[in-house]
Amino acid sequence: MAFLISFDIDGTLEFGDPPGGITVEMVRRAQELGFLIGSCSDRFPSAQKALWEARDIRVDFVAAKHMLPDIRSRFEAVKYLHIGDRELDQQLAEKAGFEFLWDHEGVAEPWLEWLESHGG
Amino acid sequence: MAHPIAPNSWHRNREGLGIWEGRGKVVATGVGTSPTARRWDERPETSLGALTIIAIRKAIEDAGISPDEIDGIVLTPESTTGVSNDPMSPAPEGFDQVFKMVDFPQAGITRGDIDWILLNMPELKNVEFKMNGPVCMSVALTTAAEAVSRGLTKTCLVVRGWHNLAGRYYVGQGAAALNTSSGPGKYGGIWGMPACATTAMIFEEYCNKYGKSHEMMAPFVVEERRNGLMNPDGFYTQHRPEMITVDDYLSGRWIAKPANIYDNDLPIQAALAVIFTTPELAAHHAQKPVYILNHAQTRPELQGVTPTLAEWEASSDKMGRMLYEGAGIGPEDLSFEQMYDGFTLFHQFHLEGLRFASRGEKRGYALDLYQTDISIEGPNPVSPSGGNSGNGRTRWWHHRDCILQLQGRSPSQIKRKAEYGVSGAHMPNFCDALIWGAGPD
Amino acid sequence: MPKQSPVPTELDQPFYDACNEDRLVVQHCGPCNRFQFPPRMMCARCGNPGLTWRQVSGRGRIKSRVVVYDSPVSTLVPEQPFNVATIALDEEPDVIMLSHLPGVPVDQVPIGAAVEVIFETTPATGQKVPEWRLAGS
Repeated sequence: MAFLISFDIDGTLEFGDPPGGITVEMVRRAQELGFLIGSCSDRFPSAQKALWEARDIRVDFVAAKHMLPDIRSRFEAVKYLHIGDRELDQQLAEKAGFEFLWDHEGVAEPWLEWLESHGG
Repeated sequence: MAHPIAPNSWHRNREGLGIWEGRGKVVATGVGTSPTARRWDERPETSLGALTIIAIRKAIEDAGISPDEIDGIVLTPESTTGVSNDPMSPAPEGFDQVFKMVDFPQAGITRGDIDWILLNMPELKNVEFKMNGPVCMSVALTTAAEAVSRGLTKTCLVVRGWHNLAGRYYVGQGAAALNTSSGPGKYGGIWGMPACATTAMIFEEYCNKYGKSHEMMAPFVVEERRNGLMNPDGFYTQHRPEMITVDDYLSGRWIAKPANIYDNDLPIQAALAVIFTTPELAAHHAQKPVYILNHAQTRPELQGVTPTLAEWEASSDKMGRMLYEGAGIGPEDLSFEQMYDGFTLFHQFHLEGLRFASRGEKRGYALDLYQTDISIEGPNPVSPSGGNSGNGRTRWWHHRDCILQLQGRSPSQIKRKAEYGVSGAHMPNFCDALIWGAGPD
Repeated sequence: MPKQSPVPTELDQPFYDACNEDRLVVQHCGPCNRFQFPPRMMCARCGNPGLTWRQVSGRGRIKSRVVVYDSPVSTLVPEQPFNVATIALDEEPDVIMLSHLPGVPVDQVPIGAAVEVIFETTPATGQKVPEWRLAGS
């Protein structure tokens, strides 16, 4: 079973506007360890896709921020996590059954511990 | 120092005034636009004031004139519609090392100020006429048009800059973060409507009345982004060259349904300066003169906490009648329309008030028009500049592009011959608008 | 809904005092024979400063509606999404007030429906404000 991480972009990722603390390297590391990754942001879905492609990352999903429930229904995972920088991110994540981390909390990559606790 | 604003007697706010006395006596020539940014990074050289200076110098250079020739400035001092600093908040460290300061430290940071500009632009040594055009660049433009037509200034800068501080524009900040509410906002604000909700409310009323839907807005929003991405000075071209698709638009998160996030414009930093002068003096300017054929104003007569569809329709109808009366033209003469679009959902109220591209319809036809060819290549170019939606929030891209279109040098130049244009902002019941012509008649 | 508490001023004290007595009063201009809300120092049409407060019936109709998903007001963010409707007073339909329409599900606001005023206590100061519910509900 997989773990799924959804990243907000602006204010959360280093290439957001404003830049956030989550680096492309962290995202890449999570993907290499088998996490399902993608973004749920207010940027157009087509623009999100282009932003990831420009960084040579093939994400599993892109969607508008309020489409988190749709992402949850599309992917089967042990845990669903959304990382963002706004109360709205938190609210939408929790309503969709995602765990939520603030952007600054995500910088420590706490999801890496999930692998240990789930024997990964 | 506070500068005067246009007296009420300068307003053309009722019908029956006839042809505008200044018709054909005022022209626009040079245009200067600063670089854009999403937010201020607190460096002096990227401040609102710095951008304003850049825009002014570019406008003067564009007109091919000497700064000595500038004898007037009309400026919009407000530089945001969101959260701003108190005027007496101290400037960031180092700001006063780069710029000379006036009697309030936020000049050049979160407030436009004529005296600050003059202090920091010593080349503008002959400015005698100084007036503020409050709230909106459209007010500054109509004020300057009157001032030039009345001989109060011969070569006048018209200026507006915008700042956008770090953080969210007004969400959860300032008064919105408190558990009490003071000031006039308390009558409506405590219901928690975001800024676009009033427009959304009236748009909903419009859709119910005329049998239209939010989906019908998609071609307009897509076309505006396309036009904006042709503009090298626009925010999206410079920072996010991302085309929106119909699916993108329709997937947008609701802010106040039926307004979604892409019906809202993006706050940015930017400044614009335009040069107004007389046709005689324009003869030696480098750019083709664009004539101002009329201007007009509407102001709300609110009876309730929000306006209604009926008020917006009546007010924008009146605007259309006043503009055409004073300019001596009709809707069939317009080569394009560039009324305000920030929020996208009220653009059609302006458009219908002008009867733009009407085939006899009076109201309820604009969203059908959006389903036809409204591109710059087509017969009815709608918002060829791309407006706020296609370029970022300034409330002046559409004015700027009227000048450029009629000079034949717009980056999104319409294919049909550009002879007459119209621009105005901001709300359908609170609007200053101008009719522009390629010639004096 | 945990609305912010409005802080009355000299101008609108009669309005808020009446709310605390479960009465709805609105400014009236005699020469124009016209109501207006929010309160102003003078008539927005003719400039008459001699406005009076008149009690109105507290009945109206739903004129339009939105659903707020992203409110700027922090106290209301946890309630999202929520309805906001414009209410046209029976006495003068151009006088518009706002309502959360308590009890009406999101996206189910019936435009044109009759409503009646109720008075809701705001948490911070206890000041009451007018709210509206479907008539007879």
